[in-house]
Amino acid sequence: MSATDTVPMAPEGQIASAITDEEVIRLINVNKWYGEFHVLKDVNLSVRRGERIVICGPSGSGKSTLIRCINRLEQHQEGEIIVNGTTLDSNVKNIEAIRSDVGMVFQSFNLFPHLTVLENCTLAPMWVRKRPLDEAADVAMKYLERVRIPEQAHKYPGQLSGGQQQRVAIARSLCMNPNIMLFDEPTSALDPEMISEVLDVMVELAASGMTMLVVTHEMAFARKVADRVIFMDQGEIVEENAPDEFFANPRVDRSRLFLSQILAH
Amino acid sequence: MATDNTQPGQDAAIVFEPKQSRSAPVASVGVIGWLRENLFYSWFSTIVTVVVAWGMFEGAAYLYDWGVTKAVFEAESRRQCLNTSPDGACWAGIIDWMNGFMYGRYPDEEQWRINLGGVLLIAWVLPFWLPNLKGKIGIGMSAVMVYPFLAAYLFLGGERGVFLNLMVFLAITLLVLNWVHVVLFYLTGRTLTENLVRMTGFEHRPETTHKYPMLALVAVVWGCVYAWLGDWQLELVRTNLWGGLFLTIVIAGVAIVSALPGGVALALARRSTMPVIRVFAITFIELFRSVPLITVLFMAVTMMPLFLPEDFQLNKLVQVMIGVCLFAAAYMAEVVRGGLQAIPNGQYEAAKAMGLSYWKMMNLVILPQALKLMIPNIVGNFMGLLKDTTLVSIIGLYDMLNMLKAVGQNPIWIGLHKEPLVFGAAIYFVLCFAMSKYSQRLERTIGQGNTGR
Ligand SMILES: Nc1ncnc2c1ncn2[C@@H]1O[C@H](COP(=O)(O)OP(=O)(O)OP(=O)(O)O)[C@@H](O)[C@H]1O
Ligand SMILES: [Mg+2]
Repeated sequence: MSATDTVPMAPEGQIASAITDEEVIRLINVNKWYGEFHVLKDVNLSVRRGERIVICGPSGSGKSTLIRCINRLEQHQEGEIIVNGTTLDSNVKNIEAIRSDVGMVFQSFNLFPHLTVLENCTLAPMWVRKRPLDEAADVAMKYLERVRIPEQAHKYPGQLSGGQQQRVAIARSLCMNPNIMLFDEPTSALDPEMISEVLDVMVELAASGMTMLVVTHEMAFARKVADRVIFMDQGEIVEENAPDEFFANPRVDRSRLFLSQILAH
Repeated sequence: MATDNTQPGQDAAIVFEPKQSRSAPVASVGVIGWLRENLFYSWFSTIVTVVVAWGMFEGAAYLYDWGVTKAVFEAESRRQCLNTSPDGACWAGIIDWMNGFMYGRYPDEEQWRINLGGVLLIAWVLPFWLPNLKGKIGIGMSAVMVYPFLAAYLFLGGERGVFLNLMVFLAITLLVLNWVHVVLFYLTGRTLTENLVRMTGFEHRPETTHKYPMLALVAVVWGCVYAWLGDWQLELVRTNLWGGLFLTIVIAGVAIVSALPGGVALALARRSTMPVIRVFAITFIELFRSVPLITVLFMAVTMMPLFLPEDFQLNKLVQVMIGVCLFAAAYMAEVVRGGLQAIPNGQYEAAKAMGLSYWKMMNLVILPQALKLMIPNIVGNFMGLLKDTTLVSIIGLYDMLNMLKAVGQNPIWIGLHKEPLVFGAAIYFVLCFAMSKYSQRLERTIGQGNTGR
């Protein structure tokens, strides 16, 4: 757990990183098929505690599939995935334990519409971690304050704007006190003026030293917080690079083409 | 804003002034407006309206004439009715047979047991409608799991086996404790368990021990009830004497209460990833859905005894109940499955991603949402069940329909067919209408947060 001196000097405007040596996620030659369709091809990846990784790539390249394999919302067929030291296999107890330590934020928020914001946040701590109600509610209020919506605690998700809902979703994940957070395009269902309020929360989270894997097209965010950018195409990791290198001087022609397309407008 | 935006040196922008709103033309609002728009908007609709209104008036007038003005309420026999007023209803027969319609051939001096059973049920579920009460789940669970034993013994009577003895006294114990809980809750604002924990000083012990005072109390009250009522016994009333609305409600009630859990279990089994369970569920559901209820009932009465050991013979009513329950569960399963399919996949994923197990995900996230969506269909199903129970009259149980038909065969009231059926229709209408209204209220009050998804 020793903090090491492998931490690179933070470039201008970037948030200092707190990477340690401890490896929390490791993917070894992971392959996955949807029927006959080969979505993930020999994916290898290692994530250390405190590392912030941004995954980008064209639509259909397998980004969502990759991060959903990490908490086994999708099942891989070949290779090995190790999260927090546990190998993912069909052992349900292990999967549930890993999921409770790995938060996930979805593109479509997926808040539970029949529960209030506060109940959304206390549900898993109470039923998975067996916390008493008042303790869970205290923790939930703390995180709702952190995402700056404590006043909405007693409303229902349907009464909130998209940006507020996504912040609740982030708070809900944080209430489980996870050591890894997965984000699958958290801002792409939002109107432009709401994107920044969500990104601000994510930047703060990054600054607090959380291990994060973020699938996003927000390149400014990637520049600001990422320790590493991963570019995927057709189920493969095409390029892994430091963000400033990746944006200024991508190594692979495919990444160059992708960047020119998304930065063109 | 637009009006203030003119800057010096620029051409003045055109100033926008909103028009004053005027009130709507008289002919389109109020009663007259509504009538014009809906009933008399063309000469054709005017004719239809007039004809239908005239038809409805004539029908209502005839019914009123037959059922009220010319009706006979007091008579000794149908003959006397006809002599008094040949084309009025003979309600005297209905009044005379009222007891039979309600209780069948249940002995008169034992009928208080049925009434008591009804009163106890009301006492049991009444706390549900009290505002802000905690612990309603426990009350509901006890109503579904324990009350039926008490009711069964009240209705049937006779010897109690060890198990029934246990359950009957447990039921009385829980009913008493439920009300102690309700009263205490409104006095102190705390549940019975919390009060007990405080009183016994258990509050400083670990939470897992907090259930012990409660269990001890149940044991003590159970003992008291036992000491008080231990050798109390009711006279046996065989089920072939049960009948009338009472029997209808017992069969429908058992079917309704078991249909939902059975249906949820079957629906989950049908969506299971385990092939054996899934195939079993599909076979069961499709089998029962493709067979008419009357066939199921005949099978239950004639075939079931063949599969049971010789010395273990069920009575007809139990066989019928089993048949109706299986049938109801199969239908309910498809309603539940429809509701489950309406829940977006993201809800399942979000619940799983938090580490909830399958059962917690279902109970806390999926089913509460799905059940709310299903309320109209569930209640529709319940109403269907209530009406379908009339089929048991075909296999010789004296439910209400059979009692209604029996009036006309009785020598005194021979030929009295119309009035009993009208009366029966009214009873069924009242029951079904009440269910329907209640379901609409439930829909409005349950999960008010589900605005916009
Ligand atoms: N459940 C599924 N069954 C079959 N094919 C699927 C399934 N889910 C995804 N795919 C396919 O797998 C490929 C990768 O999907 P994935 O969602 O991982 O892409 P993505 O990189 O996240 O794309 P996007 O940026 O559009 O979200 C796509 O071609 C998609 O059509
Ligand atoms: Mg995706």
